[in-house]
Amino acid sequence: MPTDFKLPDVGEGVAEGELVKWLVAEGDTVEEDQPVAEVETDKAVVDVPSPYDGTVATLHWDEGDIVPVGDVFITYNVAGEDAEAESGGEPGGAEAGGSAADAGGAEGREKPESTDAAEPEAAAEKAAVSETAGRTFAPPSVRRLARELDVDIEVVDGTGPSGRVTEADVRRHAEGGEASAGEAGGEAGAAEAAVTKVTEEADETADAGGAAQAAGAGTGAPAKAAEREQTLAAPATRKTADDLGVDLNAVPAVEERDGEAFVTEDAVREYAEAKEAKAADVEARPETPAEGERETTVPYRGVRRTIATKMAESKYTAPHVTHHDTTAIPDLVDVRSRLKAKAEERGVKLTYMPFVLKAIVAALKDHPELNAELREDEEVIVQKHYYNIGIAVATDAGLMVPVVKNVDQKGMLELAQEVNELAQKARDRTISVEEMQGGTFTVTNFGAIGGEYATPIINYPEVGILGLGAIEERPVVEDGEVVARPTLPISVSIDHRVVDGSDVAQFGNEVLEYLNNPELLLLE
Amino acid sequence: MVVGDVSTGTDVAIIGAGPGGYVAAIRAGQLGLDVTLIEKDAYGGTCLNVGCIPSKALITAADRAYEAATSEHMGIYADVSVEMSEMVGWKDGVVDQLTSGVEKLCKANGVNLLEGRAEFVNDSRLRVVHGGEGQGSENVDFEHAVIATGSRPVQIPNFEFDGEHVLDSTAVLDLDHIPDSLVIVGGGYIGMELSTVLAKLGCDVTVVEMLDDILPGYSSDLERPVKKRAEALGVSFQFGESAANWEEVGEGVLVTTDSEDGSGGRYEADAVVVAVGRQPVLDTLNLEAVGLKPNDQGRLDTDHQGRTDVDSIFAIGDVAPGPMLAHKASKEGQVVAEVLAGEPAAMDYQAVPAAVFTDPEIATVGMTEEEAEEAGFTPAVGKFPFNASGRALTTGHSDGFVQVVADEDSGFILGAQIVGPEASELIAELALAVEMGATLEDVAATIHTHPTLSEATMEATEHALGHAIHTLNR
Amino acid sequence: MGENLTLVQAVRDGLHDAMATDDEVIVMGEDVGKNGGVFRATEGLYDEYGEDRVIDTPLAESGIIGSAVGMAAYGLKPVPEIQFSGFMYPGFDQIVSHMARMRTRSRGRYTLPMVLRAPYGGGIRAPEHHSESKEAFYAHEAGLKVVIPSTPHDTKGLLTAAINDPDPVIFLEPKKIYRAFREEVPDESYEIPLGEAATRREGSDISVFCWGAMTRPTLEAAENLEGEIDVEVVDLRTLSPIDKDGIIESFKKTGRAAVVHEAPRQGGLAGEITALIQEEALLYQEAPVKRITGFDVPFPLYALEDYYLPEPARIEDGIRETMEF
Repeated sequence: MPTDFKLPDVGEGVAEGELVKWLVAEGDTVEEDQPVAEVETDKAVVDVPSPYDGTVATLHWDEGDIVPVGDVFITYNVAGEDAEAESGGEPGGAEAGGSAADAGGAEGREKPESTDAAEPEAAAEKAAVSETAGRTFAPPSVRRLARELDVDIEVVDGTGPSGRVTEADVRRHAEGGEASAGEAGGEAGAAEAAVTKVTEEADETADAGGAAQAAGAGTGAPAKAAEREQTLAAPATRKTADDLGVDLNAVPAVEERDGEAFVTEDAVREYAEAKEAKAADVEARPETPAEGERETTVPYRGVRRTIATKMAESKYTAPHVTHHDTTAIPDLVDVRSRLKAKAEERGVKLTYMPFVLKAIVAALKDHPELNAELREDEEVIVQKHYYNIGIAVATDAGLMVPVVKNVDQKGMLELAQEVNELAQKARDRTISVEEMQGGTFTVTNFGAIGGEYATPIINYPEVGILGLGAIEERPVVEDGEVVARPTLPISVSIDHRVVDGSDVAQFGNEVLEYLNNPELLLLE
Repeated sequence: MVVGDVSTGTDVAIIGAGPGGYVAAIRAGQLGLDVTLIEKDAYGGTCLNVGCIPSKALITAADRAYEAATSEHMGIYADVSVEMSEMVGWKDGVVDQLTSGVEKLCKANGVNLLEGRAEFVNDSRLRVVHGGEGQGSENVDFEHAVIATGSRPVQIPNFEFDGEHVLDSTAVLDLDHIPDSLVIVGGGYIGMELSTVLAKLGCDVTVVEMLDDILPGYSSDLERPVKKRAEALGVSFQFGESAANWEEVGEGVLVTTDSEDGSGGRYEADAVVVAVGRQPVLDTLNLEAVGLKPNDQGRLDTDHQGRTDVDSIFAIGDVAPGPMLAHKASKEGQVVAEVLAGEPAAMDYQAVPAAVFTDPEIATVGMTEEEAEEAGFTPAVGKFPFNASGRALTTGHSDGFVQVVADEDSGFILGAQIVGPEASELIAELALAVEMGATLEDVAATIHTHPTLSEATMEATEHALGHAIHTLNR
Repeated sequence: MGENLTLVQAVRDGLHDAMATDDEVIVMGEDVGKNGGVFRATEGLYDEYGEDRVIDTPLAESGIIGSAVGMAAYGLKPVPEIQFSGFMYPGFDQIVSHMARMRTRSRGRYTLPMVLRAPYGGGIRAPEHHSESKEAFYAHEAGLKVVIPSTPHDTKGLLTAAINDPDPVIFLEPKKIYRAFREEVPDESYEIPLGEAATRREGSDISVFCWGAMTRPTLEAAENLEGEIDVEVVDLRTLSPIDKDGIIESFKKTGRAAVVHEAPRQGGLAGEITALIQEEALLYQEAPVKRITGFDVPFPLYALEDYYLPEPARIEDGIRETMEF
């Protein structure tokens, strides 16, 4: 029995996904929970498992297609049911059966005549009387029964004396029609050959067992992005949702009023943007310029667009001030090179990043105002006492910020390991949505590519971001002399609504102090 | 109603409380529908008030008087006198009993009775005009309406009914004296029943009939005994003549007739009765308002469930196609009521029996031999004369026969024709046989009580099978 | 057990049972006694209870109502009839100045257990003043209860409850449907509580509130929309005190509402219902509340009556509009 499988909601509030790759082909046998496809949403790629044991009948999409959630994705032939399609050879039977009471009415009465005539056992043969005169002999009570069972008495074979039609004859005729309807209904393709009405009847008269449902009707419950039936929202919010084309019931709700889910205008807007970001995510690939072309058009969609929106939002909402400073780090270089080998023995590649992270966290502990979030509608600034530091990573698809959670609780090697892994995942596009959420402060290492100072844009709604310039030998003044030392320039941007210049300056000083004197980190 | 017009709503509005309408109303009430029965004259309609019932009452009374006066051969000597007004009074009592019975039955079944004349405003509203000192008119809003307005006697040109010189059948049933003589225009079943009654009461009857025989539609061997008897009672027949005009002559009338050969006739009598037929009553309903019109036969076309061309309107009885018989109207009334209640009912009767209450009576059901042949059957016919029936002989009425028509191959009984005593009762058995699809053998094999007239039925079937006992087989 | 009665027959039945149970119940009004009422609402009561309890009054509405106020203060249970609700206006002072205030004025010493009955509403091809639908006037006066039944069964139950209520009730009977249909009405006496709406049809897409003669066309509209829109029809029955909880409960389920009343739009009770909804359930609201009402003109002469009164097509349009917002 072919069973359609619709694309389920693969991530919070997501409305569609891109089919990255099929993991099975048509005709393959699959087991329940076996992954059959990779679908990408919101920068994360997920596996879609098979819900059934069976075989793959039809793959409805091509790799690279954007599949709306709720659309038919794969059709399976579920194991244990008849997969044959059947030509509806017995549609007449279904009609004449008539016990599906809906068949009543003029149609039900007329059809048996024509279709039964086609059947080998047309009524005419039996009684010479009936044939000669075209008249059926039956007592009034039997005629009434025929009407009640929606049987045309003219075509019933009479087994009474001289071919008189008896009650049993009528009943037998009524049931005989049913049996064939049952067969027709039980087989998948009845929908194809027979008239729609027959299909409906066949559905009703056939036994349950999924057969009726699958007869092409496809009436399954519509799948929604966020399964809510009712959402409370102010009328203005509803208008916003309408304008943005957002289904209120799909917007992730974090609040409740009156015992029901409630969404704010902001939540609606956020969700709308998130939707858009997924809309054409992977389509944003630059095309190879043809020979001699003066312009290349790159789609402004997907990750690029998400980044753009976020950058704009951050920069235009928070008044950015960037504090630049630098310090010589010969001791740090020393420590790292000494520890590098030890780390390698443990299979960890030790970079400067773990040291930087530790330094930042130490400084943040003294400057909680930089590890905070401004919630304007609540009129509060929330200073966080957990330290999830995002690490900006450049990938093919664009900038991504995996988050290392609870940096203060992790050791150097652990941090090193995690940073490396996250960065790799980001580049591989195997990173999950959760791994990129929940940050309280961000580090961006543009210096890995090059450059000394920059004006990084804060990862909204955080209030601070620290950019690392390239570690290079630069001239510094020591004891009045100019010497060459490895230096690490930092650029710290802050949201001046929340953080003042003096705060960031002190913060910067502290970070640099740790980087300058890494042994201080041992005291943390 | 002081001001304004509050409509009454109802599921089924039935117009006419005759044997079609009141039966439909009672059945519909039994089936739980909200029914409003609208009648402008009297409950029971023509049949109860001025048709079947009163005529049969008078026939019985006249018979009794006549029998009493002519049974000397049985050793009965009687001097019989008839007081017509009392006879009519007794007849009226019977009628009243039945019509009030109808009213009671209707009320008992939850039927709402409304007096007045109904006409259509549209396909969901009737206007009922109250007669007499009633309050004007009112609206009845209906889901479905059933037209059961019956029929009225046909009036021929120059012979407007005046109740004095030119009488219709209704007037005859209300005579306060027995006229010395009457001209009856029309030799159909009404004319024949009336002429038999009046002749037995001592009236000198002349029947003027346009065709060349009485009772058109009945075969000659059926009507022959009737005509013979009528003539013996003193009825004279003028065939091939049609009534042209009349004029007052003294206290009575002179009727002039036309005939094909141009000769024509002139007949004097106390009064002239015109009984040439009946026509359906449809002209009082404002049918234009719902877009219905009578067909060529003057009836409303209906389907097998009694529905007209307008979905919400049904028609039964004399206004619908088919024989103008009270029992057919009643059957249709039942069917329509069941259809309106959502049951899968239909007019699927195989045959409608008919009876003529002349002396002897005639009754038929189903096919004649000719009709059976035309329908493609090989007819087997059985006939049993009443003069071979013990019981018939004991009643002194042994003219006539029972004839059964069946299909030779299967034995299914297709029809029957009876002329003779109690023909109207005897036909019921054969009507059942036709409806049930019984065979000759079924009836022949059933024991019939002896001595009864019904044995003739059994013997007729045996005769068709070739083994009658009390008459010679072919 | 019960009989199938029309709405006006149910009024009569309710009056009869009340008078049989309680000697204090008095019926009074124009033509109610010997005539039996112009709509037959009091038929047979005069013969059974006599002229002391079934009083034919002069043509004087103020007097009828005022006398009833006096009788009620005295301890009787008068059920005065005003022949058409449009004739209540000459007695309006008695209603608002006295009927509504006696309890407050007397600090509860006197209450008026009276029921002022009047046929109300249009649809019977009547001349001027005979088609009024001004329940809003009385709902606005604190101290009065306003009840409008829409079925025979409810009529008897609500009337009985009104007669037994110690406070004054204005009982408006939708005369258009006085005889429009029959329904089984129990023989014995029973009460339907005032202040409770009845859900006539359950639905999940939109709540349509209605009363009186508008209930049937609203149900018809809901049937016509079956398959397309799932309409909940709530018959309010009592307009004051209005079943606020019932209204809000229905609205919270559907998030959309329409109100159908034949009374004119401006100042009509649809406005009150809309205000209640937005006060209590704003966050549930997905569309403005649609008012499907009579027009803001004097009730027209009867050639235009059918255009004035909301009928199924107009109600369906209103419902669709609300769904499509």
